[in-house]
Amino acid sequence: MSSRNDNVVVRSLAQIGACGLFLITILAAIPRSFRHGRETVRQIWFVGAMSLTIVMTCGLFVGMVLGLQLYDVLSIFGGTSATGTVVAIAIYRELGPVVTALLFAGRAGTSVTAEIGLMRATDQLDAMEMMAVDPIAYVAAPRFLAGVVALPLLGLVFCAMGVFGGHLVGVTWLGIDNGTFWSNMTATVDIHKDIVNGVLLKSFAFGIVVSLIAVFQGYTTPPTSEGVAYATTRTVVASSIAILALDFVLTSFLI
Amino acid sequence: MTDDAIVRIRGLTTVLNGKTIFDSLDLDIPRGKVTAIMGPSGTGKTTLLKHITGQMRGDAGSVELDGLNVPELSREKLFELRERIGYLFQNSALLTDFDVFENVAFPLRQHTKLPEELIRNIVLNKLQAVGLRGAARLMPTELSGGMARRVALARAIVFDPALILYDEPFVGLDPIALNQVLLLIRTLNETLGITSVLVAHELAAVQKVADHVYLIANGKVVAQGDPATLANDGSPWTAQFFGGEADGPVPFQYPAGDYASALGFPGGKA
Ligand SMILES: Nc1ncnc2c1ncn2[C@@H]1O[C@H](COP(=O)(O)OP(=O)(O)OP(=O)(O)O)[C@@H](O)[C@H]1O
Ligand SMILES: [Mg+2]
Repeated sequence: MSSRNDNVVVRSLAQIGACGLFLITILAAIPRSFRHGRETVRQIWFVGAMSLTIVMTCGLFVGMVLGLQLYDVLSIFGGTSATGTVVAIAIYRELGPVVTALLFAGRAGTSVTAEIGLMRATDQLDAMEMMAVDPIAYVAAPRFLAGVVALPLLGLVFCAMGVFGGHLVGVTWLGIDNGTFWSNMTATVDIHKDIVNGVLLKSFAFGIVVSLIAVFQGYTTPPTSEGVAYATTRTVVASSIAILALDFVLTSFLI
Repeated sequence: MTDDAIVRIRGLTTVLNGKTIFDSLDLDIPRGKVTAIMGPSGTGKTTLLKHITGQMRGDAGSVELDGLNVPELSREKLFELRERIGYLFQNSALLTDFDVFENVAFPLRQHTKLPEELIRNIVLNKLQAVGLRGAARLMPTELSGGMARRVALARAIVFDPALILYDEPFVGLDPIALNQVLLLIRTLNETLGITSVLVAHELAAVQKVADHVYLIANGKVVAQGDPATLANDGSPWTAQFFGGEADGPVPFQYPAGDYASALGFPGGKA
């Protein structure tokens, strides 16, 4: 790791490789981390509660904007009654999981990286090792699991708020018939394709990626304040790229 | 002989970033005694403790703890061993998520299923010993440096381990706390037979508590013996180190090039 290599491509590949090895280490530690079940629950609560407000707010606005734009476009074809359907599908399949994951990376991911990075910088991880407590099982695995569990739940919350926002604009404000809005939506949205595969599966995959990056960056940060600052930034950058790239791959398989 | 040395280091050689920290170091820690390790800043005293606990590995030589060769142990075996070792970090390393009480209770909670009542008694007992029972509910950020050291000390001894390694336990302590900590180390040693290794710079304190002193410099043991007489044993190493002289065999400067040429003066040796 300490070899200086200025080639960005080589360095990125090395990071991805190290990250993959780290994933294996974490997965192997998960059975041992069940001993620290309370810690995992605490972390789920922590990252979930931390991101809930921002996810709800953003979900609402995304739904409202979509409602406005789609109403505008659909009115050209006289198809405004489809507003609810299109809002729902856009949110369930793409915006819900993707935007939630991006928000989660910025809100919870950065804080996990900074927290673990500071534990590293202040020798807390070494202290655990000396007390015969494995920091991978006690610190890394619970935070990883917490992200994997929390993100699909947050994704569902985002979607619910998004549809509510679309309803607010379409029905309450622009006057689409309430019954039409819902019946068109429920007739077209497919539980399996749109909600299970769309929201849940994608969110689950993003949860793995974002949590892994956040924990990895924190765990391997150089033990300095500058190192922690860079690691936090890298969490956001790497997560964002990974989320959008993975979204393309997943979509091409799911569609 | 095997039985009276709990730690036996032979031919330990370690190079970090091209700098030789240990150069075929030999050193024994006698069982049931208090051993002090002294030496100039940056000689590798902390590094030595990390070798004993398996946090670092040398490039050559052996480090035996209780008859086990530490560098060859698996992670599981190492963790088993560490449950019987207390370690006081040079910078305390308290867990910032937990308050003082939970920091001291942490090793107990992780490795035992003791009832809450008993954990409470043990923790308060250790906190009382370092004079901080009243601070049990403070968070680490609310502690002064000296208080944090004493909490870390209480945590290191909470298991009544067989071996305790103290990395500079006296730093930042006022004279009263210093005396309490000295007394504590001595008592642990005399009543429970705990082996103690302490890294310290304070000769007066070391003389009160230690049975044996090693002076390390240039990667080797350069002097050792009874703390009361070591300072006056006539060797140039001890004379310089304990006399605090800048000139002598013990290097004060970190290895560097010529000072004059670093400042840009002409005529300096390149
Ligand atoms: N991780 C590391 N990588 C490279 N060099 C290191 C590392 N840790 C320590 N060193 C070097 O090893 C030497 C010994 O460091 P160590 O911390 O053991 O000194 P020390 O004797 O405990 O000093 P002090 O009395 O100031 O605490 C120093 O020269 C330091 O630069
Ligand atoms: Mg040191």
